[in-house]
Amino acid sequence: MRIRPNIMAKGALRFALLATCFALATPVFAQDTTLNVAQRQDPQNLDPIDTFRLSWGSIGSNIFEGLVFRGEDLVLQPGLATGWEFLDNETRIRFTLRQGVKFHDGEPFNAEAVKYTFDRLLGAEGEKGPQRSNYTSIREVVVVDEFTVDFLMESPDPVLITKLAGYGAMIVPPKYIKEVGEEAFDMKPVGTGPFSVVEYTPTVGVKLAKFDGYWNGEAQLDAVNIRFISEDATRMAELLSGGVDIALNIPTPSVETIKNDEDVDLVAVDGPTVVLTRFNTASGITADPRVRRAISMAVDRKTIVEAMLGGLASPISSAQGAKSFGNDPKLEAYPFDPEAAKALLAEAGVKPGTEITLDMPNNDETFREVSQVISAYLGQVGLNVSIRTHESSIYFNDIIEGGKTGDMFYYGWGGWTFDYDNTAYLLYHSGERYNPYVKDAKLDELLDAQRLTYDRDVREKALQEVARYAQEQALDLPLYNTSTIYGVNTRVKGFTPAPDDRARYMSVTVD
Amino acid sequence: MPVFRFILQRVLQAVLVTLAVTLFVAFAVRLTGDPAVMMTAESSSVTAEDLVRIREALGLNQPFYAQYLDFLKDLVTFDLGNSFFRGSIANLIGIALPSTLLLAAASMGISILISIPLGIHAALHKGGISDQIIRVLSLVGLSFPNFWLGIMFVLLLSITFPILPASGFDTWPALILPATTIGIILTATNVRLVRTQMLETLSAQYVMVARAKGLSEWSVVYKHALRNAAIGIVTFLGLQFGNLIGGLVVVELVFNWPGMGTLSIEAIAQRDYPLLQATVSILAIMIVAVNLAVDLVYGLIDPRIRVA
Repeated sequence: MRIRPNIMAKGALRFALLATCFALATPVFAQDTTLNVAQRQDPQNLDPIDTFRLSWGSIGSNIFEGLVFRGEDLVLQPGLATGWEFLDNETRIRFTLRQGVKFHDGEPFNAEAVKYTFDRLLGAEGEKGPQRSNYTSIREVVVVDEFTVDFLMESPDPVLITKLAGYGAMIVPPKYIKEVGEEAFDMKPVGTGPFSVVEYTPTVGVKLAKFDGYWNGEAQLDAVNIRFISEDATRMAELLSGGVDIALNIPTPSVETIKNDEDVDLVAVDGPTVVLTRFNTASGITADPRVRRAISMAVDRKTIVEAMLGGLASPISSAQGAKSFGNDPKLEAYPFDPEAAKALLAEAGVKPGTEITLDMPNNDETFREVSQVISAYLGQVGLNVSIRTHESSIYFNDIIEGGKTGDMFYYGWGGWTFDYDNTAYLLYHSGERYNPYVKDAKLDELLDAQRLTYDRDVREKALQEVARYAQEQALDLPLYNTSTIYGVNTRVKGFTPAPDDRARYMSVTVD
Repeated sequence: MPVFRFILQRVLQAVLVTLAVTLFVAFAVRLTGDPAVMMTAESSSVTAEDLVRIREALGLNQPFYAQYLDFLKDLVTFDLGNSFFRGSIANLIGIALPSTLLLAAASMGISILISIPLGIHAALHKGGISDQIIRVLSLVGLSFPNFWLGIMFVLLLSITFPILPASGFDTWPALILPATTIGIILTATNVRLVRTQMLETLSAQYVMVARAKGLSEWSVVYKHALRNAAIGIVTFLGLQFGNLIGGLVVVELVFNWPGMGTLSIEAIAQRDYPLLQATVSILAIMIVAVNLAVDLVYGLIDPRIRVA
């Protein structure tokens, strides 16, 4: 049998080859103060205009900065711009730029870089990505002098200043991109932030190093090693075994385990995401507002939040959290009152034992449990709920967009701007992509009008009016605002949880 | 000449199977959803024109056959083109493929190291207590879902007794848990295979002759019986490759191993057509190639197979 040694030799050769690949692919880093972070997703591309993902925010916010800065407190502050003023009847916004700021490659930050950033976003490169559509209210950016730019507006955009702290408006280096090309920039971008990219390995992680030339102080850490661990159980295992110092995207079922662990703290903050069940307001029994109100009174949200979500969420009365611009603290949700609900259902002619359906996507484990509870509550007022689950992209882009839902359907939305406009427009304005049923002239008018003014008081009033009207009509059943949860090892000091998932590691230290 | 015809036939078959798989994958993935929609699913301000623009930029407005031919061209030239979202596919595969192969080789190695001695032992003590124990253990091993076994290993060896890393790719110890997980699952079948093959050869006449000649037990078992049983075992291991790759997909996810499985699942989630086509096709080509190699080797060894 001569083939045997031959096969073995080949096998050995292949193994040796692989071992070499393996060793080459993984340079080992040894640095004194390295923070190890695990997050669920790989942003897959570090270019800020190519992504919408929260997984980019917790990396990119350490590398890039915008003209406006929005930190963990969500207050808008001067970032790379030191100030701005509205000119020419609010059609021109003039920004004064910060001096002495450098990109990681040494290139200076100036008006040219700002113009380049927005030309790129609004031009051919931006068209390939999802960020451009947020910024189409800008017609053009004009250089006034080295440290002054004017934004010429195509149409009024009251959320523009907030958006200038957003992904798409992160300032990028013109010279560097022209030198290395777009593809190289996706993998090893350069910004003005406190950390620079050492290496990005797709599906594995990103290694960041302190940028010594940062304009606004100095990062406490030498390096940050961010790993992508998509499996929840594995990410928790790494957190509990001390393999990582901070884990993002903590799943609700792991909350108890972390609370019981001495070495790991649970840090939670109200996030942007709200969860609601929406109604088919166009047909079926839920076309009757009385039925919708009855359902709203039949579900005890407080119990759901406390019992099902471990208190890591807050009940809401409109489709926004307490931090959202447009939230009215005086607006109260329908009270939990099953008797009144039964009476309303009887008045609307709905017989006990009537079947209704609730549609939901199949990838939200938490809501799967919540939906069972909702079904039980509705059972108590005589409605038999059948729950249908769908593959998530089919759910959003076919079932909802195509108006094929049952009487009730799940909706979770996180408007990263923390401005009710983002969510309300999408939910209630007629003709919007994810709004198959609501067509209401009053809502359209209110929503359109507030988009035309920069006056915050006027806008706030209009948005609160939208929320009140939506509640009166019971267009949906707002359930809760979920928290953004981080697991943090007690070794870590100085970490402030970011509500918008844009974790920043500049002032973090590790013992 | 018949040998040449046989080889040609099998290679042609393999090429046809590969083409069919790529065609099916390319077609099926396009039925499942629109990447432009997926890409902008989190945006509230996307208009229909935005979607059209994105589709154009991604080349999705081309007819199916044009997109498929593009993909085939990329595949044949080993260029593989670009993913919708994450740049050069060759770069991504360059990381994923070696790491999957490494994990596959390590798991297979572990499995062989365990199953050959155990299988031989069971065959030599057929019906004995140790044979029974090995049989029960392999049955237990067969009934474990591999992801469950992986998670149990992590709980025990990373959290309760923090000896090994729970996941990762940076260090050699990180390879141990995933490779052992798959290795053990493979061992369950391999032990039985080695046992059966050994029993067959041990009862063959030449083994009796070897025994009659007064050769030592070691020499009979390892030099004569195992060598002959090896043909069957090697063939089976080759055919098992497909199962192995299937099992890897899940275990890679549990241990966050950056391999082809993880890459394919991410591509599915985003409807990244080019990337998914590339990963599935490469996996399919590998499985077809291994099967072809087994076929050819077997055919060369055993002329009866060439006729079939």
